[in-house]
Amino acid sequence: MEIKAHMVSAGKAEGKAVVYNGPFAFLGDLDPVTGSICMPRHTLEGVNVVNTIFVFTTGKGSSGCDFAAWNAKKNGKAPAAIICLESEPVLSGAVIASEIPAVDRPDANVVEIIKTGDYVKVDATSGLIEILEK
Amino acid sequence: MFLTDEEKRMLDGKYGSGVQRSIELIVKLGDSFDAERLSPITYAHISYDFCPKDFWDMFTEDLTGTPHRVTTHPSYSPEKWKEWGLSFADNWEKEHNEKLKRYLELGWLRTETCAEYLLGIFPRKGDIVPMAGSCMQVANNSLFGARVDRMGILVSLAAAVCGRTPLMGLLIPENRYADYIVDVKNLDTSDWTIAHYHCLGYYIGDQIPGFKPVAVSGLPPTIPFDFARALVISMPSSGAVTLAHIVGTTPEAPTLEAALGNKKNQEAIQVGKREMQETWEKLNVWDDDKVEHVAFGCPHATIDEIGRIASLLEDKTLRTSMLIGASAPVEALARQQGWASIIERAGGHFLPACPSIANPFTRADIAGDKQAKSAATNSARSAHYIASVCGVNVFFGTEEECINAAITGKWKGEMPKWK
Repeated sequence: MEIKAHMVSAGKAEGKAVVYNGPFAFLGDLDPVTGSICMPRHTLEGVNVVNTIFVFTTGKGSSGCDFAAWNAKKNGKAPAAIICLESEPVLSGAVIASEIPAVDRPDANVVEIIKTGDYVKVDATSGLIEILEK
Repeated sequence: MFLTDEEKRMLDGKYGSGVQRSIELIVKLGDSFDAERLSPITYAHISYDFCPKDFWDMFTEDLTGTPHRVTTHPSYSPEKWKEWGLSFADNWEKEHNEKLKRYLELGWLRTETCAEYLLGIFPRKGDIVPMAGSCMQVANNSLFGARVDRMGILVSLAAAVCGRTPLMGLLIPENRYADYIVDVKNLDTSDWTIAHYHCLGYYIGDQIPGFKPVAVSGLPPTIPFDFARALVISMPSSGAVTLAHIVGTTPEAPTLEAALGNKKNQEAIQVGKREMQETWEKLNVWDDDKVEHVAFGCPHATIDEIGRIASLLEDKTLRTSMLIGASAPVEALARQQGWASIIERAGGHFLPACPSIANPFTRADIAGDKQAKSAATNSARSAHYIASVCGVNVFFGTEEECINAAITGKWKGEMPKWK
């Protein structure tokens, strides 16, 4: 299945999806040492997002999210690509500066269609999401 | 995107690599939001200490200065951390000193605070100011009417270096009208303290998807500055709100109609006792009542706040460590007033640091084996970040409850009686 989307940050990546129906903050939600979700009581607490295709609604939180993303990427603890419903400037700046491929404004509601564990390809530069297997 | 000849020269590298990388990042960000052009900036506020050293070096390369003022967010203070015997203070010193040296070489102003308006440095209504720090962004947008878009620490450095920011988002007047109305008229706020407003802001931030402007309606007219500031700065920790009009208090919201402008079909959110109670509970993340640290000054303390803390600490000895985040000039005033020495005699400390994300007492990577395993605070923002970034127990309550905890080492905070 192919879904069209809008490029936020150029590049291509593929991997297993982790889907969260809510907003994400690189600073506070993500443990920069392990790449796991570390926010207490978060529904994904303990889930590792390293090299995954991380799917969520939008960004949130501190303006420090971009340096947290930069450090996560440098340490190899960042998602391989990001798909969100609608980005916001901190998240967009974070993925552009850190060179993490990312798309937003997909033609379909990806947080419902894509399930955690699906294998997903993202070609951010061309604005394409491909769900390979369910 | 339309670019001026000067901006094209920046992109071509005529002004060196730092300016080139900076404008490239700004253009890519603008393109991703379909910005039509860039805007020159009035001044910029960055964070040298939060900026990773490799990024800092790349983006300030070849730069000799800027024609506009640049100020900075709270800093790390590794020399103080060493004085206090925090185990890993040494690890932070080299990069901090190198970045600070470069910062001063550029002729930039060493404000080191998230509450620059307390130093007399604040934007006029309509000024375009890229800013690091979501608390600075929301405060300057909401309380002074500056045009500050939501942006990250790295992007704010890029904007400061090239003197441009994408013309988008909250820089465009029509985008500043409220998309959400938060109605609090069912709450009796007559006995509210700073912590109550933090709690309300934290709830609102969590309810608003994205960073759409909000109008808070139903509060008494012209609420005190400290309350207004507590309310707005809590929103971007639980969410991404970057502009919050407080009807009857903030400059773009003399009335609800003025805050809504030509936008229609706002979604209304009612806040009542149940929402406040649940949020207060959510901000408390602890299993036993032992308090090892108390954090004040998120956002950086006002002189009045320091005066109140000092009046409760006269001739007292603290059982916990205490950090008051405050800018150097406000601390100097507190010292002149005799209040700083009262607090320090009791065992408290001042630091122009962020007592939330970069609190040296609760950060294991700074304090090491001396890390406080629990912290009390009256700031929702502190509670949020100390719980998540530092992973320690957090007690959220009023200023008085926090001071009591610092003196006794036990948490006796109570759920407010919401009316």
